[in-house]
Amino acid sequence: MPDKLSFSKTFQALERTIGLSQKRHAVVASNISNIDTPGYRAKDIDFKAALNRMLESGQELDLARTNPGHIDLERSGAAGVEAVEEKGEWNGYNWINIDREMTKLTQNNLIYKASVETLLRKMAILREVIKEGGR
Amino acid sequence: MDFLIPLEASASGLYAQRKRMDIIASNLANLETTRTDKGGPYRRKMVVMRSKSMVGGFRNILDRQVEGVQIEQIVEDKSPFKKVFNPSHPDADKDGYLLKPNVELIVETTNMLMARRAFEANIAAIKAARQMIIKALEIGR
Repeated sequence: MPDKLSFSKTFQALERTIGLSQKRHAVVASNISNIDTPGYRAKDIDFKAALNRMLESGQELDLARTNPGHIDLERSGAAGVEAVEEKGEWNGYNWINIDREMTKLTQNNLIYKASVETLLRKMAILREVIKEGGR
Repeated sequence: MDFLIPLEASASGLYAQRKRMDIIASNLANLETTRTDKGGPYRRKMVVMRSKSMVGGFRNILDRQVEGVQIEQIVEDKSPFKKVFNPSHPDADKDGYLLKPNVELIVETTNMLMARRAFEANIAAIKAARQMIIKALEIGR
């Protein structure tokens, strides 16, 4: 995204938020599907920290490639982000708390939708500017 | 496809819970069964689930961390059979005691409820993913 042009940093930030919350959804869905797996530990992405790192570095996080022969990882918005096992509480069967997972699911879904919506409105503004400028 | 991975994970959860429900139904159906192919009364069955990675090969770390679930095995409950005094029953022993399956109606009903709730939780995850994908399609419209 050429953010030095008319596209501000907002686009970049939104794009990454969307990418990250998509990844987080996958992690939460994985926890939910393992609700009956004995001894399973719930995983989560530290959303805030990962997003901050992605924005600060100004570029996507990636593995260091010290040798030209190293394989380039896929350059999605959230490459290199890792889910970590949560502390959680032992419920006698595993370390998954379904209430927590469902809350995270909803929360994350809202963040995603809000980000897309903001992106759409941002684009509408740009479109408006282009349209009016041509008159 | 990136956005389909969580859907597959949730789908594996749905499948596993359905299978669990099948086993519970089988336990309930055999609540009074005193004759089986192996001989003796029916033994209660249970499922054991195990997490499994949804993608293989060279993918980024996170995609490999997304785990679905699978039923690893179906095991039999080793707890003792219930012993009831019923001398008129043809399968009763010489003292008049009849061995009945080690299935507890309350336990099975509770498990059935839990399987159902877990199934619904997976459905909720699928619905959320669906909403996200539809929302993303609005970009560029």
